[in-house]
Amino acid sequence: MDMHMMKMSRVATEMHAREALEKAKAVQPKLNAMVTFCEVDEQLENLKNIDTNAKLYGMPIVLKDNINTKGILTTASSNILGNYIPVYNAHIVDKLQAAGAIVIGKTSMDELGMGGTNLSAATGPVYNPYDLNRISGGSSGGSAVMVSSGVVPFALGTDTGDSVRKPASYNNIIGVKPTYGRISRYGVIPYASSLDHVGYFTRSVRDAALALEVLAGRDDRDMTSSYLPVEEYTAKATGEVSGVKVAVIKNIMDMASDELKTQTNTLMEQLRAKGAVVEEVTMNEDLLKACLAVYFVISNCEATANHSNLDGIRFGVQYGENSYEDIMTKSRTAGFSTLIRKRFVIGSFGLADENQERLLRKAQKVRRLIVEEMHRVLGEFDAIVAPASLHGAPLLDATSDQLSLEYLIAENYMCMANFSGDPSMTIPYATVEGLPVGLNITCSAFNEAGMFNLAKAIEDVTGLCDVVKEVL
Amino acid sequence: MNKYDKEFLRKLANQLMFDMTDEELENVQAEFVVLEKQLELLEAINTDGVEEMIYPFEAPTSFMREDEVDNVLSVEDALKNAKTARQDFIVLPRVVK
Repeated sequence: MDMHMMKMSRVATEMHAREALEKAKAVQPKLNAMVTFCEVDEQLENLKNIDTNAKLYGMPIVLKDNINTKGILTTASSNILGNYIPVYNAHIVDKLQAAGAIVIGKTSMDELGMGGTNLSAATGPVYNPYDLNRISGGSSGGSAVMVSSGVVPFALGTDTGDSVRKPASYNNIIGVKPTYGRISRYGVIPYASSLDHVGYFTRSVRDAALALEVLAGRDDRDMTSSYLPVEEYTAKATGEVSGVKVAVIKNIMDMASDELKTQTNTLMEQLRAKGAVVEEVTMNEDLLKACLAVYFVISNCEATANHSNLDGIRFGVQYGENSYEDIMTKSRTAGFSTLIRKRFVIGSFGLADENQERLLRKAQKVRRLIVEEMHRVLGEFDAIVAPASLHGAPLLDATSDQLSLEYLIAENYMCMANFSGDPSMTIPYATVEGLPVGLNITCSAFNEAGMFNLAKAIEDVTGLCDVVKEVL
Repeated sequence: MNKYDKEFLRKLANQLMFDMTDEELENVQAEFVVLEKQLELLEAINTDGVEEMIYPFEAPTSFMREDEVDNVLSVEDALKNAKTARQDFIVLPRVVK
């Protein structure tokens, strides 16, 4: 059942939250998606002070483990935070609980958010409900599979490159990354501050719209948070797309298999039948090819600086004893995996005076050109769309987080919306070799209402609403 | 010295206050080979006269907040996650023996 339909008595609500917690525990041996299961008794008691008409009243939810929860272990799936108990809630946790949500657990992720497979989590890989031999995708993999497998209708993630939208594609659910600044990041462990967004997963467009009504809004504790009013996204997501102009990225369609092309073309024909104006658009190929490099350089440079506070002294797991240098070095060596330390070395290389012009500054200049190219298209169209991936989730033993040039454009282009800050989401629509693949939609900044409206039209024609892949 | 020399990379790691094994450093060297190919794609793009884009939105903040105490972390909370705390301080090994 999706969440907007859940208006039930207090007793039923309590049962529902407890059932969700039990189901989360039951699927754990198969999916390995949870880092921590939360106690719900106190939260259910607190519900007595919440209006039963609150938007998420009694809703069981899970949070990615980089979102600070007061008194609850928050590891970001890294050993260095293996004992970290936050003393405050992230802004969004307070908002969700004020809206009646019940947090039943914290979910696995790529270590510190720095990956796209969920293979780097300290608690091991997360498995895909559609094929347990395949990855969940990352970095918000645990949250994605909890929604996909029907444990919860709504889960929080974060998206720095495509960390919500790619796992959404692999798991046949909706993944939303709103406009930069639309949701406060206060209390969310950062990765790369100029690219980081809070995002989330649902199984219906209406729920995606409702979730943003709860999550969005100004927070003085996040300087990048927007003052723009929060809209009634649910009311505006009617699926009426007459005259809506949609650009399909031709560069990506050219690389798609016939199987995926056929399904994409069928969907576009259905949108045309609803009155939408759909055209293929070619974007600058050199700029698309540069997306991964821009992302890799900027994100690693920013991460190197952001994670310098993980020292094993003020919080986190501590090793060493002879001196503060000994403590820091041993704590950081043991606390970060090889992959993360490797990324930090690359980030440090890019930040070094002699390399900054060639790496970081160059990447930041190309970032501007990529954003200008996006805005050229968004100046003529209401939305840019393309498959979120050319294939379903890869097999566990056939993928890694090593830097790769394979499928350079099609598998890495979604970080454009992190460069620009524009809202972007993935919605189920196709299968390739029997595995789900989502469609990515990107609109202009703060036009989430338009994005959800187009998504609703797509959901209406595909019928892929509230799809659950049970694993029990 | 090769710019991706193992000892140079080890120095970068140590500056960031962690160690890497020889095997890990060889892995970093291999990644730099791929990164170089990526950088070639960046270098192929003419950025003459283009300003760096640091953040998605570039509207300047033109106001200052009121100088009011808000959102304070108590000393007790601030010390809760430290391994060793005494009185109001986090305790580290002596620097001067």
